[in-house]
Amino acid sequence: MTASFKKILVPIDGSIYSEKSLERACDFADAFGSSLILIYVVEKSIPINLLDRKEYLEILRKFGTNVLEKANKKLSKKGITVKVLLKEGNIVNEIEKIAKKEKCDLILVGSKGLGAVTRLLLGSVSNKISQTSPCSVLIVK
Amino acid sequence: MVIKTKKILAPLDGSKNSIRGLDMAIHIARQSQGTVVALAVKTVPGIYAIHPLGFLDFNSMTEIKKLLSDAKVRAAKKGIDLTGKAIAGDPGYDIARFANNPKNKIDMVVIGARGRSSAKEIFLGSVSNYVLHKSKKPVLVVK
Repeated sequence: MTASFKKILVPIDGSIYSEKSLERACDFADAFGSSLILIYVVEKSIPINLLDRKEYLEILRKFGTNVLEKANKKLSKKGITVKVLLKEGNIVNEIEKIAKKEKCDLILVGSKGLGAVTRLLLGSVSNKISQTSPCSVLIVK
Repeated sequence: MVIKTKKILAPLDGSKNSIRGLDMAIHIARQSQGTVVALAVKTVPGIYAIHPLGFLDFNSMTEIKKLLSDAKVRAAKKGIDLTGKAIAGDPGYDIARFANNPKNKIDMVVIGARGRSSAKEIFLGSVSNYVLHKSKKPVLVVK
């Protein structure tokens, strides 16, 4: 079979679950010699915060770059080079767009994130990704 | 490697997608020197679950046994140890229960995106979705 995971997309949001998925991504990169793409998506489709929207987005952006930097450091310690992306817009749409554009073989997500209330089951973003993604999805629990 | 994927569960139902899932499971097992557990579930309508005779339907059990032996051959070609398991019951529920059972020591579930239950669903199949939600182990959905 030709499906060796050449490119793995790892969406992160700074939660414990995304850290777990990062660890798992390290393993995969070791085992399959694949390249990683880290992505943080700034959620833009929040209807509240009409007044201080700009400020809010600014905070999110800062948080995003922080998270990405931390992850990048963690990975470079292990000797894995990654491509880092910061996108804005709808989370699921952006992730799918990148997955198509970069022709990723695998999307590696944590089962839950920071969004909304921590639910007993699957997070909304992970769920949507698994439903509609063009490539294989690994949900790390 | 920090996390070892020693035992990989690959549910089978005979569809093309489940075979793709099996291939992926074999592929991963090769990398991490693990073993694959193939699980074939025979659907039993709920009413038979109470009735003891429901499990005595040997005719269709042979179909599942053939499926498992096919899988074994497929894995043996790639040099992977594969153990087959046949269960009668509700597919989604039983796969999730099998994966969560600590006795089985499953490290990862590899499942095809769609099975054969709903002929042509554009998105995720119902069983895959159920397993995705209910399993406590990492799930790889193969498209």
